[in-house]
Amino acid sequence: MSNDILFFAEFSGGTPARSAIELASGAAELASQSGGAAVALCYGSGAAAGAAALGAHGATRSIVLGDEDRPAITYASAAVAASRDAGLALLAPATPNGRDLAAALVGTLDLPAFGPVRAARVVDGTVETEQATLQGRVITTARPADGAPSPSVVLVLANTFTPAEGGSGSAEVSEAPAAAESALARATVAESHEADAKVVNLEEASIIVAGGRGVGGEEGFGPLRDLAAALGGAVGASRAAADAGWIPYQLQIGQTGKVVKPALYIGAGISGAIQHRVGMQTAEHVIAINKDPDAPIGEFADLFVVGDLFQIIPALTDEIRRRKGS
Amino acid sequence: MKIVVCIKQVPATGADKRYTDDLRLDRNGVEAIINPLDEYAIEQALRLADDGRADGVTYLSMGPEQASEALRRALAMGGDDAVLITDAALAGADEWATARVLAAALDKLAPDVALMGMASDDARGSLVPGAVAAMRDVPLLSYGAELAVTDGSARVRRLSATGFDWISAPLPVVATVTDQVGEPRYASLKGIMAAKRKPMETWSLADLGLAADDLRGAALTTVTDARPPEEKPPTERIENLPAAEAAAKIADWLAQRKLI
Repeated sequence: MSNDILFFAEFSGGTPARSAIELASGAAELASQSGGAAVALCYGSGAAAGAAALGAHGATRSIVLGDEDRPAITYASAAVAASRDAGLALLAPATPNGRDLAAALVGTLDLPAFGPVRAARVVDGTVETEQATLQGRVITTARPADGAPSPSVVLVLANTFTPAEGGSGSAEVSEAPAAAESALARATVAESHEADAKVVNLEEASIIVAGGRGVGGEEGFGPLRDLAAALGGAVGASRAAADAGWIPYQLQIGQTGKVVKPALYIGAGISGAIQHRVGMQTAEHVIAINKDPDAPIGEFADLFVVGDLFQIIPALTDEIRRRKGS
Repeated sequence: MKIVVCIKQVPATGADKRYTDDLRLDRNGVEAIINPLDEYAIEQALRLADDGRADGVTYLSMGPEQASEALRRALAMGGDDAVLITDAALAGADEWATARVLAAALDKLAPDVALMGMASDDARGSLVPGAVAAMRDVPLLSYGAELAVTDGSARVRRLSATGFDWISAPLPVVATVTDQVGEPRYASLKGIMAAKRKPMETWSLADLGLAADDLRGAALTTVTDARPPEEKPPTERIENLPAAEAAAKIADWLAQRKLI
């Protein structure tokens, strides 16, 4: 067993996902603690072409699992071959694809699993993780049991690690070792449908303006979009707004949507039910705007503005534009 | 076509939850429910049965004896029978151990579709379904907003980065569904009465051909500390101000924190 720290790097059109860049710097950080190397397991369209560039973000080596556009889970057996006895920990993004691949490793190689974690480090030669559990009521610290196999599989929330910028290094690229046949490879995309409008990846946004039932309809998101644009952020929503069809499900934040950890989250017309809260409670700063002074979101927001969002949000947009001089 | 729905009993969503001194979930005096996201898996299975696509719906759960209440509750919604796996050696089981046990039980039940919710309300790792699929060497169809089953194959409608895909695989499969499959039905009084007569078996590890040693003390992970979250400073409030003044105060607040 080596002290390397592996991580999943998903590619699309040769570009690494934001999660890949964050995990590259996270793996480099843990590798400096363990005395090993940060090793990327790259998959998705253009992964072979983009693998070396992860060196700029902290990867020492990149192993290409495959570079076709197919369901992530079908890369499971290549991931198994590349990570068998191959390191101390493997970091996976806490996204649907990241979880699917992580689970396949846990099931195939009988590995300890952690997460989704909000912090990870190497202490005394093993990985130690920190996780909010029971809907954020309890914070636990966990480690592999004595004698547990390696690598430890760690699901990592978005924005847990800050991407390393400005590096110029190039990772050494290799092919994944020969993989065993697996039934997991039998999943195929039977049909693919594009949405009418382009949707952003909320996990990559550092500022999010989210709307809920109180936004009242599709057109009610207009002022939220203006504010998000003024702040350089993205628009998100609660499940109520997505279920009502006001906004695509890709922009839903919460237990069954995206789990986000932006620097700033502004919730407008969102009551703050626990299912929404678990999707945004790790945001660094939370502002709530709600006309109900007793809305639950007021109990955990950093700043609670009681009032009509349709008056306050346009006024805030104007104020921010004025201060930014645009 | 046979479906097994795996369900987990969890503490009620709003309950006051804590860990015991030995760093396990304290179940004493805490109301327990079916994991809310598993109810969507139940609903999806029952819809397939209603449409004549499934010939049988079996529920499977691993947990302490009181988890039989969750199975009985599921049977009141519909379905045919249930299996509870309970064993003292399973206390404190982690995701890997849970997957080992469920995989062994599914080997025995041999369903065409093993269906699960997308996550559990308490731990939210979502690794059990994929680990079970890998252990049983069957395809995984995850995060379905809808599950369809036709001759010899299953497919799920899954959100993609830019829209949605239908992902397909030959049976048998492990599948998970989201809360987009449709609201779970309520148990009717008739359903509750009927559930009392539906068969429920209890299996131990030995019934699955597993020994406690196979499960390495039920966990490959160990929790070393459990504590309340860090105290946050109290919420600041802006109330009863005209919009322009409120906006200026919010902008000041953002500027102080270098967010604009």
